Amino acid sequence: MDRDEDKIKKAQAARRANARDIATRLGVFFIVVLLAFVGLSFRLFAITRDNKNEYRQKILSQKSYDSKTINAKRGDILDANGNVLAASQERYNIILDARQIRTLDDESGDRKVRTATLSALRSVFNVDYDALNKYIDDNPGSAYYEVVKGITYEDLSRFLPYITEPSATEKDSLYDPNVKGVWYQKYYVRYYPQKTLACDVIGFSKSEGQASYGLEEQYNDILTGTSGREYGFFNDETTYEVTTIPAVDGNTLVTTIDTNVQMIVEKHLKNFCEEYKDNYRKGLGANNVGCIVMRADSGEILAMASYPNFDLNDNMNISHLYTDEEIAAMKEEGTLKDAYDKLWKNFCITDTYEPGSVMKPFTVAMGLESGKLNGSEVYYCGGFLQVADHKIYCHGRKPEGNLTVKEAVAKSCNVALMQMADTIGKETFLEYQSIFNFGLKTNIDLAGESRTDGLVFNDKTMNVTELATASFGQGFNVTMIQMAAGYAALVNGGYYYEPHVVSKILSPSGSVVKNIEPRLVKQIVSSSTSEKIIEYCNSVVTDGTGWRAKPAGYSIGGKTGTAETVPRDNGEYVVSFMCHAPADHPEIICYVVVDRPNVREQDDAKYSSIISRQILTEILPYLNIPMTEEVSDKEREELLALELSIYTNRVEQEDAEADASANNPEGEQ
Amino acid sequence: MADKKRVKTRRYFDYLLLFIVLFLLGFGLVMIYSTSFYAASTQYDGDGLYFFRKQAIAVVLGLAVMFVVSFIPVDVYRRLTVIIYIVSFVSVLLVLSSLAHSSHGATRWIYIFGFSIQPAEIAKIGAIITTATIIFGLKKKERLSAKGFFMILLPGAVLAGLVLFLTKNLSSAIIIGGIVYAMYTLCEKKNLTPYIILLAGIILAAVAVLLIVKFPDKFSFGYRAERILAWINPEAYADGKGFQPIQSLYGIGSGGIWGKGLGKSVQKLYFLPEAHNDMIFSIICEELGLFGGLAIIIMFILLLWRIRDISAHITDVYENLLLTGIFAQIAIQVLLNIAVVTNTVPNTGISLPFISYGGSSVIILLAEMGIVMRISRDCDFREEIRRPTPTPEPEREEEEELTPAERARAARAARARRAKEKTR
Repeated sequence: MDRDEDKIKKAQAARRANARDIATRLGVFFIVVLLAFVGLSFRLFAITRDNKNEYRQKILSQKSYDSKTINAKRGDILDANGNVLAASQERYNIILDARQIRTLDDESGDRKVRTATLSALRSVFNVDYDALNKYIDDNPGSAYYEVVKGITYEDLSRFLPYITEPSATEKDSLYDPNVKGVWYQKYYVRYYPQKTLACDVIGFSKSEGQASYGLEEQYNDILTGTSGREYGFFNDETTYEVTTIPAVDGNTLVTTIDTNVQMIVEKHLKNFCEEYKDNYRKGLGANNVGCIVMRADSGEILAMASYPNFDLNDNMNISHLYTDEEIAAMKEEGTLKDAYDKLWKNFCITDTYEPGSVMKPFTVAMGLESGKLNGSEVYYCGGFLQVADHKIYCHGRKPEGNLTVKEAVAKSCNVALMQMADTIGKETFLEYQSIFNFGLKTNIDLAGESRTDGLVFNDKTMNVTELATASFGQGFNVTMIQMAAGYAALVNGGYYYEPHVVSKILSPSGSVVKNIEPRLVKQIVSSSTSEKIIEYCNSVVTDGTGWRAKPAGYSIGGKTGTAETVPRDNGEYVVSFMCHAPADHPEIICYVVVDRPNVREQDDAKYSSIISRQILTEILPYLNIPMTEEVSDKEREELLALELSIYTNRVEQEDAEADASANNPEGEQ
Repeated sequence: MADKKRVKTRRYFDYLLLFIVLFLLGFGLVMIYSTSFYAASTQYDGDGLYFFRKQAIAVVLGLAVMFVVSFIPVDVYRRLTVIIYIVSFVSVLLVLSSLAHSSHGATRWIYIFGFSIQPAEIAKIGAIITTATIIFGLKKKERLSAKGFFMILLPGAVLAGLVLFLTKNLSSAIIIGGIVYAMYTLCEKKNLTPYIILLAGIILAAVAVLLIVKFPDKFSFGYRAERILAWINPEAYADGKGFQPIQSLYGIGSGGIWGKGLGKSVQKLYFLPEAHNDMIFSIICEELGLFGGLAIIIMFILLLWRIRDISAHITDVYENLLLTGIFAQIAIQVLLNIAVVTNTVPNTGISLPFISYGGSSVIILLAEMGIVMRISRDCDFREEIRRPTPTPEPEREEEEELTPAERARAARAARARRAKEKTR
């Protein structure tokens, strides 16, 4: 037993030792495995480090073949009458699948497919047969090669017969079963049929889903559709299946812009700039000219334009404004981007300036509405007013004598207005400043409206001098759209409408998705104040500084503005003319701003009033607003030259006679 | 014996091992869901969860199997070795029967009671148990002899041959061969034979590769030769045999350090066929980046370290042999799988343990984990096991005199003593 026990004990110890030996050797094996893992980890790291970008591209290029994006069509932008301002057009790329062609030829053992396909491509698109042939030889794995880019459907349709199986009845088909490995890819390009028209308002979209400026940017989400996708996959090892998620096209915008009004406005802005080009200094007729035409009682924008403009289809082209040398110099200095931005932005909503005397009706309205003025006050103008330690002069520096409120507005007397502001007081002025929406965005539905909250006076920045100058529109900044929207409210009975450009959103099939009604924000003055302001502004045109603006056949009201720019005393001015028509029941607001006219004496609002007159002369008859005033012979000639009919019953007859007399001599000849 | 106090009276259980296994299983399920959703929804009428569901069922079954197995003493396997070997042998043979099921041009599955089983997986565990039993039954001299060489390697080699010729499954044959080879190499020290075999194998393989590369037309090795050519220059064979390796590399490379994000792989959509299967590691790298790939590698290293650490505290040769076999299987599969997806070795279909899709594989692996857990309960943490007394050499000679029957008797006596101590 002892012997046995001993033997078993020893044997156990030995087995333990043997088991331990196996564990030791397993430990060595573990280290070997560990080293192998380290090696593989390094290999993983090396693959990632060396080939990351290359492989990413490879994957993407494969993806474009087997899962294709189906582009959605961006919605159109239409004017109020359904004219197309921006549209998307189909374009096609012809894609060659060298891999498929080679596979098919390898299967049949000849080059039938390659010859037939390349011949077909050559005969339709006039491509280089040998170059493609070489491409297929060199790139056996390529499945995506753009043979022809950007062709229209018309061009594509000449190729389609080759790859479309004809119906049984069809004869003389070009169909060739050997034309394989060619497919086409549809995409859309943005096209602006009116080119430069309303370029600032529309903005541009250069690629799918990307848009800059104007409506294109503001309504990008609505215009952009949702891309579809086509997935291809091998469900087994042999059959190729395709799943398609169709694209959803974008919605269409119907705007309040009237192409004809817009064209008239742009024509006159351009004419002005061309007429005064290189007149006093080198360059266009003004740094910028802008004009807004809007409906007084709804805030709908009929036209909004500025000059210089650009072709939306070719927005990078600035050769109409700069010479090649200038462009090269700007590129050198790095200011080219600024030049583009200056051109593309919408002057009417982005640029801020001091409004000048156009502010006067607002100041008077403050006084009347707050009860500080009643309209019967008389002010004495001695040419200047001593405010604190400044002598602030009247426009022209000559004493006007005693003036009623109405005369003060008509003659644009700064001294009278400063006295009114003094009566109104700082608190009331600031209160009405915000009631009139100065310093606040109008929330017009266009991208790029400036914030002006830091550019108007507040309780801290406004002292006696500032109050005095603010009364005639100096010292604080506004945008054109703020002034136009505010003035519209002053003359329409006091109703402040949010200005807007889009009136309707249509689905791709043409049904109405959303109607955008005029949005009344608030009443800023009472209707009695409004009537007084209309009366005062009418006198500006009948008896005051704005007499040049009266168009033939119509009475209008308005206010001129001449604002000295910062820095002062270098003779640079922003001149403007704000007006409403017709005079008694304003329907249309037209606001023209000329930023630094290219003349020696810039401080003359005639430049803006003349442009206003030219615009109103054409658009008022177009908008079917009846004429109320007699038309002088000179004016009649002017209208005839413009080929405009004259819209009053009384003169219509005369007009017919005039027509007859104008035509008869020709007939007799 | 009384003075030899146990360090632990409570049976040891390797919770870290359990955690690692559960982590790998959970991670695998997430990745199978991610990689197979698109393929499943196109193949099974929009049922994107098809593969995920099947795998989840297999995992649950496997965990049950693991739990049960973790209570079965390993001696049972030794006594049942003949039956286990016959079962694995027959299951491979069944692919010739009407139960067989073909897919992808090879017959690798059999259907029993509605379950699809891959006999090659059964053959792997069969080879481990059989080889361990044979080695255990041989004396030291016999193990080193030529007779021992054949005795140890033959049963495994037969299984590997069957798997190779009947199911055309080279990878599983390589794994079975590798397991048996590793067990043979590690069971005895100062045995040069396996190293000579390894060297000869490497030289042979190198020559074969050279011949294939230099004279691609003269030797017809079939598709395997093409795979080797595709391995050396995957770009040139990108449309054929190089397609899978190159797409796998694209997947890894495009993932970068942090990956594209879970579920965002492009490759799984079509370019990596059966991405949830052998190539799942490539998709892990694409979606989770180098970071995710290394995390998985580290988890496998930890798993192997646990197995090896358990073996260091085991006093039973048979248990240690089983551990060696299981260790070898997991190490070989993981290494080869990652080597294939990184195109480090020629392409052959080896699944990634616990993570790749495959019910039989995961159930058998979990059963093996059950065995490891059972063995871990026998861990002996006494100091002398780790740092042995320097006297075993003369006793070793004595040990050789014991017959297997005596050794078994001794083992039984030891267990009886241990049981007695436990009850005390």
